[in-house]
Amino acid sequence: MKHDPVRRQLLAGAASLGALAMLPRIAHAKGSVVGAVYPGSWEEAYRSIVAPALQKTHGVTLEMQPLYAVDQIAKARAARGNPLFDTFLLDPGPRVTAIEAGLFEKFDPSRLSNASKLQPGMADEYGVTVAAQFVGIAYNPKKFDKPPADWADLFAEPYVSRLGLTGFQTTFGTVSILEMSKAFGAKGIDVEPFFAELKKVLPKIAVIGAPASMPSLFQQGQCDIMYANTQTVGTLKARGVDIEFVRPASGVITFFTTMHIAKGAEQVDNAYQYIDTVLSAPVQTELMKGPYFMAPVASDVTLDNTLPLKSLSEMSSMVQHDWAQINPQRAAWIERFNREVAR
Amino acid sequence: MNNAAISPGRWPLAVPLTLAFMVFFAAPLLMLAVTSMYEDDGLTRFGGATWAKFLADRFYWKVTLDTLKLGVMTVCATLLIGYPLAVVYMQSNERWRRLMLFIIIMPVLLSVVVRTFAWIVILGNEGVINQAVMALGLSPTPLRLLQTELGLILSLTQIEMPMMLLPLISVMARMDRNLIDASVALGASRWRTLFKVVLPLSIPGLVAGCTLVFASSTTAFISQSIIGGNRLVYLPLVIWQQSLVVYNWPLAAVASIVLLASVMLCVVLIAALGRRGARYLHV
Repeated sequence: MKHDPVRRQLLAGAASLGALAMLPRIAHAKGSVVGAVYPGSWEEAYRSIVAPALQKTHGVTLEMQPLYAVDQIAKARAARGNPLFDTFLLDPGPRVTAIEAGLFEKFDPSRLSNASKLQPGMADEYGVTVAAQFVGIAYNPKKFDKPPADWADLFAEPYVSRLGLTGFQTTFGTVSILEMSKAFGAKGIDVEPFFAELKKVLPKIAVIGAPASMPSLFQQGQCDIMYANTQTVGTLKARGVDIEFVRPASGVITFFTTMHIAKGAEQVDNAYQYIDTVLSAPVQTELMKGPYFMAPVASDVTLDNTLPLKSLSEMSSMVQHDWAQINPQRAAWIERFNREVAR
Repeated sequence: MNNAAISPGRWPLAVPLTLAFMVFFAAPLLMLAVTSMYEDDGLTRFGGATWAKFLADRFYWKVTLDTLKLGVMTVCATLLIGYPLAVVYMQSNERWRRLMLFIIIMPVLLSVVVRTFAWIVILGNEGVINQAVMALGLSPTPLRLLQTELGLILSLTQIEMPMMLLPLISVMARMDRNLIDASVALGASRWRTLFKVVLPLSIPGLVAGCTLVFASSTTAFISQSIIGGNRLVYLPLVIWQQSLVVYNWPLAAVASIVLLASVMLCVVLIAALGRRGARYLHV
């Protein structure tokens, strides 16, 4: 067969491209960490604040894998001990799932210089809390004469006909519905009272939507009241949307976003340095400011007055939920929600 | 076109693609089928319970039929608007064709997520449509368009339109103009020419367009969940919830296979209808 010089050049080109593809792994070995981070504002915040701080303090490069918590678990389960990233960033539900599936390396909080600044129980053998979320009711003050007082108000007029509701597929949705159910008489983890009330008001509800679309729907005036975290409220407010956060009478819900080291992670030392950087006071302070509005967990951070607490120790008196109890029932709740709301 | 069999010396050229097809398509499909045959989300018990649960549940049948209905409605809407546009394209000169092609392709260059969120702005209570309706005094209150099947079909019609138009215009642009001129010269009216000459000749493009729009709209998870909301439950939402939120992979696999099989069945039906239509129209 006659070899065509053009074909040879093409083959050579392809071979060098193939070699180039291996370069990131070489760079990886020199001083980087691959962190799974939620897409959107978390990714932006970590790119502009955490990555430069990590590079400056420890000389480690942060490579991000933008993945939602559920996607991180699905990918880690599918990868079976050969994870695509070194650290997880998770909400409490997926955290419990990952612990049960054995997806984490044993975590040693003593390797973090900032661990002592956390509230009791925020660091354990599985991982460490890096941010708090505060969930309550968000409403448009221009559309109602007075703000809603508690969770039960969401299903009463004038609020219900302007309500934007989401189901159990997110952490904030699940905990909000549990609190609504409690307001309707539930004892503990029981969603029946919620579903009984939902049936009565279903035709009146303005929007039942995908969680990711709720901020846009609120901004467009499709709904004027919804459950949301302070981060969403802060972001929308910064965009000029008429929105206020209300602390329900039964209390603000709090849950924690945690970081964990993936089982089989390649860069364990860098992962600890990355997590320590996230917990450092300057980084926590920057993340708390707009446009990111991430609630800090390190005690040496001066809290912003937009947050629904004066001191981090107040978190222990806020409403919290046991995800080990919630997780086994969530599949049935999601299915039930689909059936109840489907047209 | 030369349809002769590939000469024996050349078959190794097909090996890389065949291997890629086996590894990246056939093997995952097989894994999907195997996953659907587990009875628990830990993938430990083998059996047909997940299939039985899905097939015995009227809710899932409704979800499947609603998904297919959405596909049919979107195909009808894109066809109704797209076909006349394709006829205009066929009749236009080269300059206009280039301009039209640019306009048709332009939306494809934007991410489907952006296009979907743009539809929230258009269909919303304070959106363009409702502002126009209220300014014209057609309705005192905003029409409910978002989170309805009508709104979803409206947006999918725009989002999927290039899928219908591109195959259609590529077939129609190749159509022999002499046949149309001959039809007119032989005394056929414009409508008779359209139905007896243009339509039969454009059937390959129609079949390709309908197939693409149907397959794409039934699986359009982002548009379905953002525009349709959670009160309209379609199979892609069920698959997403089961695989990524509650990790019930067997049920997600069953729903995926049902979606795949029902969409394939409809695609075969569209192709069969196309062949029958061509025969009927030529008579």
